Amino acid sequence: MGKENPAEKSLNLIRGRLCDPTFVFRPLSVSPESNYSKLRFIVSTSITEGCNNSILLLGPRGSGKAAVLDLVVGDLLEEYPDSVSVIRLNGLLHSDDNCAFKEIARQLCMEHSLLFSKMASFDENSQFIIAMLRECGLAHKTIIFVLDEFDMFAQARILNPYSLLIGKQRLLYSLLDAMQSVTSQAVVVGISSRLDADQLLEKRVRSRFSHRKILFIPPSREEFDSLLEHLLSLPADSSFPSGYVSRFNEKIKNITSDTRFKDMLKTFFNANSTVNSLLKFIFRAVSLMNMESGLLSLENFKAALSSMQRQPKLEAVRDCSILELYLLVCMRRLEVKEQSSYNFISVMKEYKTIHDSFQTSDYYAQNVCLRAFEHLKEREVICYAENRGQSQTGEYRPMKLLISASELHQGMRSHACCPAILVKLLDH
Amino acid sequence: MPREESSKATRRNTRLSSSVTIENPEPNESHTPSVDDLTFGEEETITLDALLSNFPGRRSQILDLIRLMGPLDSPTLPIMVYGDASTGKTSVVLEAFKHLNRPFVYSSCRTCHSPRILFESVLNQLLLHRKSSSNGYSSAKRCDKPSDFVNLLREALGNVVETLGSTSGKPITGKMVYLILDHLDLIKEWDKGNMILQFLFSLCSVLKMPQLGIVLISGLPPDVYYSNMGYTDPIPVYFPEYSEDELRQIFLRTQDNNLKLYSAFLDVVLRPFCRVTRRVEELSTTFSLLFRKYCEPLDDLGISPNEDLKRRLYSHLKPHIASCLNEVFRVSSHLHDGDTRGERKQKSSYSSENRDELDTLDLHMSTSAKYLLIAAFLASRNPATLDASMFDSTGGMDNRKRKRKASEKSMEKKEIAEQEAVMKGPGSFPLERLLAIFQCIASVGDSSLGEEEGGEDEGEEATGYDKENNNLMSCVLLQVSSLCDANFITKSGSCPLEGSIRYRSMVSEDLALKVARSLSFPLAKYLYRR
Repeated sequence: MGKENPAEKSLNLIRGRLCDPTFVFRPLSVSPESNYSKLRFIVSTSITEGCNNSILLLGPRGSGKAAVLDLVVGDLLEEYPDSVSVIRLNGLLHSDDNCAFKEIARQLCMEHSLLFSKMASFDENSQFIIAMLRECGLAHKTIIFVLDEFDMFAQARILNPYSLLIGKQRLLYSLLDAMQSVTSQAVVVGISSRLDADQLLEKRVRSRFSHRKILFIPPSREEFDSLLEHLLSLPADSSFPSGYVSRFNEKIKNITSDTRFKDMLKTFFNANSTVNSLLKFIFRAVSLMNMESGLLSLENFKAALSSMQRQPKLEAVRDCSILELYLLVCMRRLEVKEQSSYNFISVMKEYKTIHDSFQTSDYYAQNVCLRAFEHLKEREVICYAENRGQSQTGEYRPMKLLISASELHQGMRSHACCPAILVKLLDH
Repeated sequence: MPREESSKATRRNTRLSSSVTIENPEPNESHTPSVDDLTFGEEETITLDALLSNFPGRRSQILDLIRLMGPLDSPTLPIMVYGDASTGKTSVVLEAFKHLNRPFVYSSCRTCHSPRILFESVLNQLLLHRKSSSNGYSSAKRCDKPSDFVNLLREALGNVVETLGSTSGKPITGKMVYLILDHLDLIKEWDKGNMILQFLFSLCSVLKMPQLGIVLISGLPPDVYYSNMGYTDPIPVYFPEYSEDELRQIFLRTQDNNLKLYSAFLDVVLRPFCRVTRRVEELSTTFSLLFRKYCEPLDDLGISPNEDLKRRLYSHLKPHIASCLNEVFRVSSHLHDGDTRGERKQKSSYSSENRDELDTLDLHMSTSAKYLLIAAFLASRNPATLDASMFDSTGGMDNRKRKRKASEKSMEKKEIAEQEAVMKGPGSFPLERLLAIFQCIASVGDSSLGEEEGGEDEGEEATGYDKENNNLMSCVLLQVSSLCDANFITKSGSCPLEGSIRYRSMVSEDLALKVARSLSFPLAKYLYRR
């Protein structure tokens, strides 16, 4: 590893930091008012006092809910290694109750080195879980249930083969109901980006749920600044050449104090101000680092910003061939004429009238146009207006544009070889 | 694009040969699978310069991609490569891995058309399991739920990363494993596709394993995947459509014998064809045909053309270009090429005989099939309520009445009705109506022929009609089904009230008129026009 050059090494280090959420959120959780401290207090008291609890962590995607929880859980596992066990579920994976019970049973078996039976039925699994909860409670061991994407558990419902609803939120109900008993000792932590996640709960579940909520809001500007320094500055240890670290950190300080950089951050945060989006931005900038000098520059951030701010619809219009642009313009003209709906055949009619009145050089046969039409559909620039009527062939199904007039206009202006007549046709 | 890859028979190179299909045509028994199989191998690595020159016009994308992957062993956020079809997304990503020589798993959602196949394909590759006759072509693990997949993937990845870390003295491939998922946009069409997409987008945060790098390849931009839950944005890398100059470079790379001649050819054809499409796949099929035509007047293909020769060749090619722009590439939902005969014919003589082609096409149908085709066309276009008056034994009189009526209508009303008709497309009809019209027009067709000959006898006609009916009815149902097979008539869903299957004619008016002309049947007389 010694022969690695310092630039590559620093790049590896910073990229490793950016991909490790626990590292990112560590400095944000030192203050006593931080969510970290609140959450840690709640969970640790329920461990020490042996009581049941339930908490919801709410906040926009990428605001570090799961990362902070991981920090808390990691620290508590160190503090009370014998009396905590963690079960992790994700609403994306386990919103199906059957599957969730199986997964809980599997993780419990892993934790306590028991034999897990894949063939166990739903009832067996749920009985096993309740028995385990009781046993753990008697042994003064707290089970922390982490339910990521909590809203999806709340929306989980069981349908029997006759499509009749036979149970809603079974998992949440049985977990919370088991926690009503004195013997059990468990904490349920739900994570959701839906602020109304607790409103989704059924009455019988909601009444068993303690309405403790922790809200995650984006950090302030000062916190962001300190976060940037935390992420980007290199440690002054001996593995780097001595001059390099100071040069690197000096450069970072220069960049972050630059007003142009501050403006850039401001425009970036206008769109999205969560920590995760900032991480992505920095990741992009860092990956553009000049490997010869091994230093970051303001240009890297500038380039990263421009590559993050994409306008896919404009790109799609720019990718169109002239014929495809003609079809788009025809569709737009039909919309302007207030024709309520149109299909390929009526677009072709419009195309023909344009050709008849302006004698354009781009008049192609219907089958060629149909292919261009399919290309547009593939690219999701246009789509079928309704899903009904699939018995009709594509030519007759009503269509609609998925781009606005201004996008089309802008895209055609910046198109490499858009004929002038087309822009004119679009306006009139 | 396939052009380079067909020459070198490397594994996992084209998008068609994903690893679900057997990688090696003849499975080598002595070869024991190892983690090295996940890389392209030392002897196949290419330099960055070769990579850049292999893909004209993709320089910034390649550099961007390699920078985002970072140096050896550095963790990465998920990357999404997107761009239109045939812009080199898959080949660039795979060739970039050839250059980097890092272990990766490639699965395409085109070949893995359901979650289960996709998951098992990824796991098979990670577990170094190869489907063969000895294991009954089964997968290493059975896995159809995302939750199982996460557990199995975590386990398999752990093992792979461990062995990668422990192999010493071998070529350094790093401890990272990359997961490349191609054709992500197809998942949208899957059953519960949204859930799978959300799962794949958040796979990185669910797994929490920095040793896994994820590269998603999609034909659609990231904004179409936005949903109100579970979507975390990967880092986008955009592959734009090739410009005209880049296309020229690409096509020049495919030609190896006479570059000057080919370049002169491209001067002529590239511009007009670029106005229609800029997809390499579509252009290359056309250009290969056209180039053959271009070279036709030449005896020696090795010569470098001067201005005079170029002009001569151009004037030779010019008529072909015009027809080619409108003819050669076709979309299959159109009538003419649903028919293989037509296609074959078109390939052999695509120049300017499309009219003759249609006429000859007619001759392949029996007379009763032609009548059926016309009957279906009429049934689709005419309102059913008019059938009685239309196919009265004295059809002509009603016709005149209707025309007068139509002229009374105001132009506006007519236009609106026309629009409606266009929107509705051909109508559907039950089999009974088709057969009734068929009987009528078959008899009228005969009688009109009779009229031409001069003699009209009611009794005569009736007997003729009966006779024909007896002759034809037996095979008519067969003809209907064969017309269905040829896609001239489609079966649409059954009517909720009547419960019987309804049919719909897919024939364009031009073709119907042509068929009618070949029978000398007065189709226009029976067509209801608003």
